[in-house]
Amino acid sequence: MTSSGTLTPVSTKDDDLSALPVVPARHPWRWVGVAFVLVLAAQFVHGLVTNPAWDWPTFARYFTAQSILTAVGTTIFLTVFGTVLGFALGIVVAVLRMSKSPFLSAVGWTYIWAFRSIPLIVQLLFWFNISYLYQRLSLGIPFGPEFVSFETISLISPMGAAVLGLALHQAAYAAEIVRSGVISVDRGQLEAAAALGIPRFRQFRRIVLPQAMRSILPNAANEVISLFKGTSVVSVMAIGELFYQVQVIYGRNARVVALLMVATVWYIILTTLLSIGQHYVERYFARGDRR
Amino acid sequence: MIEVLGVHKSFGSLEVLRGVSLNVAAGEVVVVLGPSGSGKSTLLRTINHLEKVNRGYITIDGELIGYRRRGGKLHELKEREILKQRKDIGFVFQNFNLFPHLTALENIAEVAELSDARHFLERVGLVDKASAYPRQLSGGQQQRVAIARALATRPKVVLFDEPTSALDPELVGEVLDVLRDLARSGTTMVVVTHEIGFAREVADRIVFMDDGVIVEEGPPEQVLDHPVHERTRAFLSKVL
Repeated sequence: MTSSGTLTPVSTKDDDLSALPVVPARHPWRWVGVAFVLVLAAQFVHGLVTNPAWDWPTFARYFTAQSILTAVGTTIFLTVFGTVLGFALGIVVAVLRMSKSPFLSAVGWTYIWAFRSIPLIVQLLFWFNISYLYQRLSLGIPFGPEFVSFETISLISPMGAAVLGLALHQAAYAAEIVRSGVISVDRGQLEAAAALGIPRFRQFRRIVLPQAMRSILPNAANEVISLFKGTSVVSVMAIGELFYQVQVIYGRNARVVALLMVATVWYIILTTLLSIGQHYVERYFARGDRR
Repeated sequence: MIEVLGVHKSFGSLEVLRGVSLNVAAGEVVVVLGPSGSGKSTLLRTINHLEKVNRGYITIDGELIGYRRRGGKLHELKEREILKQRKDIGFVFQNFNLFPHLTALENIAEVAELSDARHFLERVGLVDKASAYPRQLSGGQQQRVAIARALATRPKVVLFDEPTSALDPELVGEVLDVLRDLARSGTTMVVVTHEIGFAREVADRIVFMDDGVIVEEGPPEQVLDHPVHERTRAFLSKVL
């Protein structure tokens, strides 16, 4: 106690510290912050309820209207197919990109380069208009005879073009996400699998992928959610997904705000469901991490 | 059983193995000693073809590892064939390399039938930890699971790459006990280690490596107590 002149000795023989009550530290500014945020939130909610411009009766009328529900279904359909096909192709592209063969690796790299370079909306319009470019598609020997051929326009419907565009676009991003997950797995894991003589494909499926999933999942969930909202760009192809449908309706009745809210609330609900799903899937893949 | 002949291995311009030859008989326990950077681990990793050699060759039970001889040439084997050869060569890593997302039992069951996997877990005394994940086990327990996993492919030889170097001192004993049991049961083993006491007790032969070559070899009492070579003496004076 000699060096700290202003301090008195904290304990003496006949003074038992363990008997004293403990007073937690106070944080008054935190309460100021809470009050500030609560006032703002109250104002916002008050505005939502009292401002007639939000037009809640119209919102209620359309929120579960058949046309909107159908459009929600279309949005989900596009998201599911975009995700499943996108990630399936993405895994293939990632494997190519990581291949020891310089040629295959270059193919993977080029795919990612190309589809990340072209804006999604441009790509969608391109697929939508593919039949201007190639009227007929055929199967046959390259530069030789054809066996079967199709009218492009009958083979690739607007919906098909939308799914194709979303999936090809998604695959480029999915490939990089998968690759980032795979390279995050410790090298020793592959060595152990190799030393045990586990076949190559099984190494990937049983050892590498489950561990890579830990870092793939948060990024993949981001991608799925962003694709889910990103499906609204296919409204440029006049496909009746959620955003296109509300535009059609407010174009007719001019209730812009109420209908945008219909779309917004649906997007929020479905994104929330995806986030909850993400939580459980991540928990599954974290099972070796539990104590 | 194991025949290593004139093996050279370089990483870039660094020559790590400079002509190593070694024979290990069936049931023999060979302990490889040497300072770090002497090429001990690399030698071990060339035996199961985790590292490709630049010159020389390795056979196990007369079978060439990683190559096939045809018409006066050595043809590199396909990865699938190499993986199959590795089932004959157990390998235990310094830092265990258990699969963290699988339980102890699942780690072994990855390469064996479930009942077999349980048997091997029993053999290292960890059957009560069957459903524990690696993170829930101590380092010593993890290494024992890793040994059980290496045994599960019923290899002809087992290679140990500094199996106790990553362990806290009080956990080394339980792993050495398992190694002792294996040695007694007639398993052919090559062990790279710094545990001199263990080497003296268990090894049939000690091989001392330095600077990419085998400097001297012989029974423990000869190499440890009456080393011929100056480099061996210098090394032993530091670790004993």
